[in-house]
Amino acid sequence: MGLIEEVLTIELPVGESFRIQRCRYLPLKGESNKRISVVSGIHGDELEGQYVCFLLGQWLRENPEKIRGTIDIYPAINSLGLDSITRSIPFYGVDLNRTFPGSKNDFLPAQIADGVVEVMRGSDIAVDIHSSNIFLREIPQVRIAKSQEKMLVPLANLLNIDFVWVHDAVTVLESTFAHAMNTIGTKTLVVEMGVGMRLGKAYGHQLLDGLLNLMAHEGILDIDPLDVRFPIQSHVGEVAYLNASSPGLFVPAIEHCQVIEKGSLVGHIVSPLSGEILDDVIAPIGGILFTIRAYPIVYEGSLLGRIFGEKQ
Amino acid sequence: MRRFDIVTLDSPNRAPLRIEGFLFGEHHDNAPSVAIVGAMNGDQINQLYVASGLVEYLRRKEEEGKIIGEILVIPAVNPYALNMGEKNWPLDKTDLNMMFPGYDQGETTQRITARLFETLKGYDYGIILEGRRDQGMCLPYVKLIQSGYEDLDAVRDLGMGFVHYRPYEPIETAMLQYNWQLWETNAFAIVFGKNGAIDQSDSDEVHNALIRFLSKRKLLDWPVFEGKKSNILHSQQITLLKASRAGIFIPKVHCGAFVKKGEVIGLIMDALSGEKREKMVAPCEGIVTCQYSHPLIFQNSIAFRIASVEHSSTQERL
Ligand SMILES: [Zn+2]
Repeated sequence: MGLIEEVLTIELPVGESFRIQRCRYLPLKGESNKRISVVSGIHGDELEGQYVCFLLGQWLRENPEKIRGTIDIYPAINSLGLDSITRSIPFYGVDLNRTFPGSKNDFLPAQIADGVVEVMRGSDIAVDIHSSNIFLREIPQVRIAKSQEKMLVPLANLLNIDFVWVHDAVTVLESTFAHAMNTIGTKTLVVEMGVGMRLGKAYGHQLLDGLLNLMAHEGILDIDPLDVRFPIQSHVGEVAYLNASSPGLFVPAIEHCQVIEKGSLVGHIVSPLSGEILDDVIAPIGGILFTIRAYPIVYEGSLLGRIFGEKQ
Repeated sequence: MRRFDIVTLDSPNRAPLRIEGFLFGEHHDNAPSVAIVGAMNGDQINQLYVASGLVEYLRRKEEEGKIIGEILVIPAVNPYALNMGEKNWPLDKTDLNMMFPGYDQGETTQRITARLFETLKGYDYGIILEGRRDQGMCLPYVKLIQSGYEDLDAVRDLGMGFVHYRPYEPIETAMLQYNWQLWETNAFAIVFGKNGAIDQSDSDEVHNALIRFLSKRKLLDWPVFEGKKSNILHSQQITLLKASRAGIFIPKVHCGAFVKKGEVIGLIMDALSGEKREKMVAPCEGIVTCQYSHPLIFQNSIAFRIASVEHSSTQERL
């Protein structure tokens, strides 16, 4: 059984404290050789990671003799937000994942960010599990900034995910948890999977296998590596974005993320008022539709999907 | 005056979004051009109020033939949010002032900012009326970030008491000021007011500063009184006084107050038992430039910022 600790508390105005809890698993005997942090709920409307945390905890409780390292599970970083369907830090309306590395001297979101970094400092690896947002559904994927490609892609390939997406560095992303942790020497992987406010059981089990495999390779668990899928690598192809050309109601023609051919129908944008079909959304390239819109109301520009396909 | 739509965008169900501009004067070889951007978020009522008040003032001055260069005023960038008590873009909650320079093939809010930015490019001066990004209210001040394209001399012509001159933070690379500077507009922000409210005296101060700037920069043929001599503040000159406890916050002084070291400037009460939890004592002599504005305060929140002539030991942003 893991040790449940309150690792960060910040007093709230009226008879309550903001808190972050973790459950820590240590080897039954002998020294811990490595430390991994499994993190979810930086965004309060993303719940897939909570299920992964449960599954991992359940596995570790059943297999305590396999543990060789320190395994920290943080299911709920934005605990106020998770319990109130609020993506950002309530009261402030600030995206926690744009507030890192944070500061003790700054407002609540920055204090939380700083506290999170301090608590996890010294971890060898961190896995930060996101589930997109309420608008988009994603296949299990890891996103890596170009500058971290060499260090992180080999680790990501162990995670039993479908896709590794190496993207160009954007300065804004210097304020993410992953960037802050990578900067202080913790190899941090950002997983995106599923959709906000919902749970997909299959993805949870898929990522559990990935985490166990990663920990087997790193010597944190004394188990044989699992037989995991090898993710598609973004450098072999290109990502095409499907953005809505007009406002309306997006009605997908495809239920789940899947392989599609160039020119095939992804969905329609329709007008509830006039009864017209306003636009046919057509795949501009063939490949795997790894993102599809889950929330139907769209404006011009709203992202409807992303396709990864061969370079044109 | 020419009133026109800078950006229009159809909505699935509600009336179309319109970002309106008010253009005064015309291009003039001996006068610069300036664009003034008001409320970018739905809680920036003060910014909206100052911008629309400026439109009315300039309309009259134009009728009197007093405008020399070109002046564009955009009172509201996000009327959708203003009309429903939201802060950000109502559908996906993105902050429009975190979407610059925009991308015309991207997400909705990137398209909005890209179209807006097309209009804003090329102005000699760019003035952004900003609210605070936290639960504070402050003495009106100029926020000038160091990107390598900033112009400290220009901001002195506003005649405002404080200019906070500091390096930019990573998230600011997605904001208008930084991007406008990269496109070689002398851009700066005037931060003032309390979000969601109108403060008449702060609004008057900013209104007068804008007119002073227009007059001194020869866009407006109209004499003005001299303003204040601007104090250029660096982060090291700001001392923070934080709440060591959460609770009900009772400030004893207000922005602009001159405080002495050791003076009691605020109290925090236990919100349930009513007991006094903390007596907040000024750690140094100086002017209160900013105070926490919500009656409930969080532990470690910055209750006061005090600007001193001397550098302080705690270094923080204004
Ligand atoms: Zn997320």
